[in-house]
Amino acid sequence: MKLALERYARLNSPIHRWKQTSKFTALLALIFAFAFVQKLTLLLLMVLVTILLYTLAKLPLSFLLSRLRYPGLFLTAAVIFLPFVAGETAIISWGIFTIKEEGCQAALLIVTRACCILTVSLVLFGTAPILSSIKAMRSLHIPDIIIDMTLLTYRYLEELGAMLTTMEQAMKLRGFNSRKLTPDYLRKIAHLSGTLFVRSYERSQRIYQAMILRGYGYATSPNYSKKIQIKLDCSSGILSATTLLVAIFFIVASLS
Amino acid sequence: MHIADGLLPPNICIAGYGITGGMTWYSLRQINKQKNPREHMIKASLLAAAFFVISSIHIPLPPSSIHLVLNGLMGVLLGYYAFCAILIGLFLQAVMWNHGGLSTLGVNGALLGIPALLAYYIFQISYRLRQPIWKQVWAFLAGAGGFGITAIAFTLLVITTISADIDAQMEQKAIYASMVGYSIQMGIEGIFTTMLVSFLQRVKPELLP
Repeated sequence: MKLALERYARLNSPIHRWKQTSKFTALLALIFAFAFVQKLTLLLLMVLVTILLYTLAKLPLSFLLSRLRYPGLFLTAAVIFLPFVAGETAIISWGIFTIKEEGCQAALLIVTRACCILTVSLVLFGTAPILSSIKAMRSLHIPDIIIDMTLLTYRYLEELGAMLTTMEQAMKLRGFNSRKLTPDYLRKIAHLSGTLFVRSYERSQRIYQAMILRGYGYATSPNYSKKIQIKLDCSSGILSATTLLVAIFFIVASLS
Repeated sequence: MHIADGLLPPNICIAGYGITGGMTWYSLRQINKQKNPREHMIKASLLAAAFFVISSIHIPLPPSSIHLVLNGLMGVLLGYYAFCAILIGLFLQAVMWNHGGLSTLGVNGALLGIPALLAYYIFQISYRLRQPIWKQVWAFLAGAGGFGITAIAFTLLVITTISADIDAQMEQKAIYASMVGYSIQMGIEGIFTTMLVSFLQRVKPELLP
């Protein structure tokens, strides 16, 4: 699960060398700028910028396609009816079905925007370990409690997933194999979930005690804040400035 | 029940971030008023991880299957931490599985997080009533209500903003059709929350706020 995203996090490319803190800010700005795009004329430019970024990142195409498969299903389900129900200008009529121009344009806009945003977010999080991204969020002054919660949730997500799989196997070995939605089925799943909650809760208490013993919650040395200050190298600075300029261009072009 | 990147216009995305920012500030303010927020934070983090693992269980609902959203239950168990936990879960889902999105993180956070806080307030009413049966009734209302509010807001938002060219009658039909589907899941979420709360009441009552 974690490795799937971090499979290409240690390649050598300009995007991989880009400091995660400035990369985070610049690419997030670009994602928002893409979300602003409402004009069809900007779509081609948006696609070109995305292709350029992905090529610079040296990530394989198969990686992108595998990551687009799951959101692609949701996206298709959301826009498949648009050409038939949105708009008035008919392009093709076939029996009771009429494909309309406005609906096609809306679907094209949504799909292109979504694919570009997903690709940029893959470049952002697929070119560095996720822990670097979370550290970058800390240096952007996101509240400590949210960062600590993110780290802990991420840390235990996979372990609890494995625990659930083991518990489900144990249930199957004891004869639970129902695939029918009955009150009894729901009760057993609720008890399974409840047991997982109880185990997580007990574990959280042990983790808390261990963290307290290691000094968690005590003030860090004054030098610590200096260590995580953003230090931009030349290439990171150029990449950040260029990306921010492109993002501003898209926002201005969309609003004008 | 996540809105993917690219589906919503920018003004809605920005408004979503505004609302989520405000609600996060409010939740953190309430959390910092507590006696030992760090201890509860660790509990909330692990329970949040457990929630996202449990929400991956397929519940058979012919002809297909569904995943439980469990935002009502999160509100019941995590209280003010529920909003932050949902936001973190949505962020990790967007980053790790491309489920949801970064531009719509604010909207998704508000859609799932505000009903979770409402579910927490609904469940708190049960503490004023002595009989245990009322706890189960309020647990059902919290679980079903949390999901129901999310489903209504999600449907209205997606159908009314996806394209300006869809006529009002078509929008109305789509909203009704979605509501029928979601009302079944609402019942399942309510019953599941009731069963889980009764289980925890017997096994680990300190897990309930």
